Amino acid sequence: MSPSLANRLRIGFAIGFAVLTAMAVIGVGRFIQQRQDFEDAIARSYQVEMAARVQLARGANPASARSVVTAQADRRQELRDQISSDTRDTALLVAAGLIAGLTGAVLLFSGLIASMRRPLEELVEASGRLAAGDRGARVEVGGLSETATLGAAFNEMAGQLEIEASQRDQLDRLKDEFVLTASHELRSPLTSVQGFAEILMLDRDSLTPKQVDTVEIILDNCRHLVRLLNDLLDLARSDAGRLAITPRPTELAPLIDDAVRTMRAQTDGGGQTLTQRVEPGLPLVNVEGDRIRQILVNFLTNAHEYSPEGATIEVTARVVDADVEIAVTDDGPGIPESQLEHIFERFTRGDAGMTQRVGGTGLGLAISKSLVELHGGTIAVDSTVGAGSAFSFRLPAAARASR
Amino acid sequence: MTRVLVADDSETILLLMRTRLELAGYEVETAADGQEVTEVIHAGEPGRLPDLLLLDAMMPRKSGIDALRELRAAGVDTPALIVSAHQDATDADAPGDLEVSGYLTKPIDFDRLLASIAELTA
Repeated sequence: MSPSLANRLRIGFAIGFAVLTAMAVIGVGRFIQQRQDFEDAIARSYQVEMAARVQLARGANPASARSVVTAQADRRQELRDQISSDTRDTALLVAAGLIAGLTGAVLLFSGLIASMRRPLEELVEASGRLAAGDRGARVEVGGLSETATLGAAFNEMAGQLEIEASQRDQLDRLKDEFVLTASHELRSPLTSVQGFAEILMLDRDSLTPKQVDTVEIILDNCRHLVRLLNDLLDLARSDAGRLAITPRPTELAPLIDDAVRTMRAQTDGGGQTLTQRVEPGLPLVNVEGDRIRQILVNFLTNAHEYSPEGATIEVTARVVDADVEIAVTDDGPGIPESQLEHIFERFTRGDAGMTQRVGGTGLGLAISKSLVELHGGTIAVDSTVGAGSAFSFRLPAAARASR
Repeated sequence: MTRVLVADDSETILLLMRTRLELAGYEVETAADGQEVTEVIHAGEPGRLPDLLLLDAMMPRKSGIDALRELRAAGVDTPALIVSAHQDATDADAPGDLEVSGYLTKPIDFDRLLASIAELTA
């Protein structure tokens, strides 16, 4: 067991108290003793002088008696000088003792502070590292028992955190692995269902209209399942940090054209107007084109599915500060504020009443957010109930090639 | 008649492929894994190789990739399409030195598949 701070303080105080008390007792004792000796000597001197003066009065041997009187007066002066010098010495001695005691106390405290400082600094530094995510942060246990106990407690806590974090990591890995495997395994049966339904449709003339409708429902749901699988896979990859992009300097206008062309048949079918307004001379952006198109198609699909017949949907692209902002705006029903804050979370969808004819997976916006952030951009939504919605994302403009 | 050798470990998928490809006018042979692919080819008469290989990337015993690597080593240069269950099948599935004519993902887009076969066996 290492020495404790409390014990050290106790011992320090005891020694200090003993030293100071001893100094006081010795000093006062010496002072009293010197005073006593001085007074005795003075008294003796007066007695000798008195005897001499008696002899002088009697007239016997006046010369010798007179010299004794003078000698005693000198002797007393000498004694007075002696006592004041002794008193000064005693005072100096006591003062020196006090100074020595105080110095000892200062040394003791600074020693204690110094012995606590290093372990404490180490703890502060290790806590900082632990908070910053270094799961292996530990301190060297040692020094005074208090700091040693603190250090051991810190190490135990850090160890516990490390175990929990690694268990969580493992669960996450298992979950991701599961989603990847499940999505993989589901593809073969899905291929069969879709493939055989398509074979039925190859000979659709021999089917009754009701059978054609039935097979079309099967095919619709197959496509929905494929979308769901692809989205789940994207999310699992994103969670596992395996959703990778290979960005290259890309022109946005053709991507927007492409996405709009993809969606045109659906919006025309719904009697909706789809327009685009791309600012001329947009800077290049450093992106993976397919992924940006995926985001745009997701925004456009949402706008199409949630807006009524006759609605207007517009894609715009413009420069905002050092970014390019791409937005899909519709004049559909809008999104209530209570839903807006969760809109980019998974499996969040518009009003239950709307989902009847909405074919999305509830994952599109969550994936779009991951993708935009993977590109170093930001995603945003702005909506007013009854007036429409605007989904947008901003991407940092790539440095212009020539200038 | 153009002959296509299809390999997949799912009997249903083999039946689907056979039905669809035969409807499109191809002669179809099937194999349940990569091992069978090499056996079928080595057992066949020399000079009567299939015109196209349609191999699932992942199969038990021997994968489509491994089977194709063996065939290429044996000097078989029949065009090959690889079917993968990955969403984004790319060259990452097969080493770059392996000569592959194309990749398809499940669920299979048959319009694309038939177009590729027609082009490769033209």
